[in-house]
Amino acid sequence: MTSTLDKMRAILRRDLLTAIRHRSAFLLTIAGVLVELAAFYFLAHAIGPSFRPEGVEYFPFVLVGTGMYTFFLKSAYAFLRTIEEAQQSGTMEVLMTTSTEPAELVILSSISAFAGTLMSLGIYVLAGIVVFRATIDANILSCCLVLVLSTLLAIALGIMVAASQITSQKGSAIVWLLGSGVWFLSGAMFPVSSLPPALTWLSKIVPITYAIDGTREGLLRHKSPLEMGSTLIPLAGFGVVLLVLSLGAFSLSLRRARQNGTLSFY
Amino acid sequence: MDRIVFESVRKVFRHRPALFNWMGQERSGETVALQDVSFCAAEGEVLALLGPNGSGKTTALKLISTILLPDAGSVRVQGFDTARDGRSVRKHVGIAVATERSFFPRLSARENLEFFAALDEVPRAERMARIDAVLGDTGLEEQNDTLVMKFSSGMYQRLGIARALVKRPSVLLLDEPTRSLDAGTTAHFWNTIRALARQQTTVLLTTHNFAEAAMVAERALLLHRGRVLAERAIGPLESAESLRAFYFQMTGEVDETCGALPGAGARR
Repeated sequence: MTSTLDKMRAILRRDLLTAIRHRSAFLLTIAGVLVELAAFYFLAHAIGPSFRPEGVEYFPFVLVGTGMYTFFLKSAYAFLRTIEEAQQSGTMEVLMTTSTEPAELVILSSISAFAGTLMSLGIYVLAGIVVFRATIDANILSCCLVLVLSTLLAIALGIMVAASQITSQKGSAIVWLLGSGVWFLSGAMFPVSSLPPALTWLSKIVPITYAIDGTREGLLRHKSPLEMGSTLIPLAGFGVVLLVLSLGAFSLSLRRARQNGTLSFY
Repeated sequence: MDRIVFESVRKVFRHRPALFNWMGQERSGETVALQDVSFCAAEGEVLALLGPNGSGKTTALKLISTILLPDAGSVRVQGFDTARDGRSVRKHVGIAVATERSFFPRLSARENLEFFAALDEVPRAERMARIDAVLGDTGLEEQNDTLVMKFSSGMYQRLGIARALVKRPSVLLLDEPTRSLDAGTTAHFWNTIRALARQQTTVLLTTHNFAEAAMVAERALLLHRGRVLAERAIGPLESAESLRAFYFQMTGEVDETCGALPGAGARR
């Protein structure tokens, strides 16, 4: 346990030092968030107040949708970047010769990556509320619960991306899938009920749909956890099953790469 | 007791061309990197792996460090099989590879070493003292707070060696460790390696430098086209010239420097 905490501290320190030595990146992120939110704010104005998807104003609706969607996308990118950078810089092979188990290393690295993506999500939602006056009606417990389950799901997807990067050097393909298909089906920009029945059904097997729905229910409609069973249970189920599958896939991909000598290929 | 045991090891790299390969020239096929290789290294022994480029020296080191897994045969370190018990093997092995760039560029030398020492489970109480010691051994004390993105290739290589040493491995793998080092650092480095061997660390090194192999190793293994071609005990009277002659005689390669420059063979 002490050793794990020590490793986590080392990874957090490495990432923090690397981040603060890239001084301009943080400011650019903030500027990007504000520009994106401004675009959605004026889009909501252009659409007008009569369009109230799921009974809420459009701007908070899209704020939560794009905020959560970006959270998943950034998380997946964080995992992809961790592996890609390790492969390109040559640290991949050396990291795999340390006494730390690869799965432990990836999970600990993910905690660090999530500190960053969670902070981005927080800034995004907070800027929407404070700067652009998005109306919220939050149930804090529900929000926390959804966030924890969403993080579990994001870790699972991230490890899947990492496994794919090690196996085929094309983890970006999964990120692309998240970036296009999931964007369209998860209801980030519009309610999935407006899709044709076949696509509505398809959206129900996209786990991120439940994370976005859950956040809207908890943050905008003040629903309690008991009222959110139909969202929380599938979200938890997807998270657990995908986490087990992704860890298995990661371990397998690593063994294959060691066998084929492709650990540092990119 | 043998600390490293290679038993009939075979390692093949398969090349599969890309899916849409009609535009490119990539060929499918396989390269046999090691074929039926068996050898062992004892506690405290310094074993030099010699051989031309592509003979399988680095592959052998990567197999010991679990970066690669064998296709057939077995590799054991301290009795642990690399394929079945990789974690136990990794606890005992430190590796420094020739083309060192494998660091986090925006961390200093010390910060990089602290990071890897944590992953290698070096006790926190000992960490700073060990890092100071290896920075001293590799002549990097003055650059310890410099970001490694500003390092020269020689400094990278020294840092790679420092990283391998900081965990105090019982098996140390060095892939052409002095390739980019200056003369002073090289001399100090070999003193460190000899001291480690006296403390029962097993050292496996690959090199093309016969003088260094003759000076530091107790035994040389000559690899050629993935096979062990010959083995030679290196006594106190071994010279770079005799080792060089042995190499060219066994591999059948022509030592062109002998004909081209009078006395060139003796210069090494």
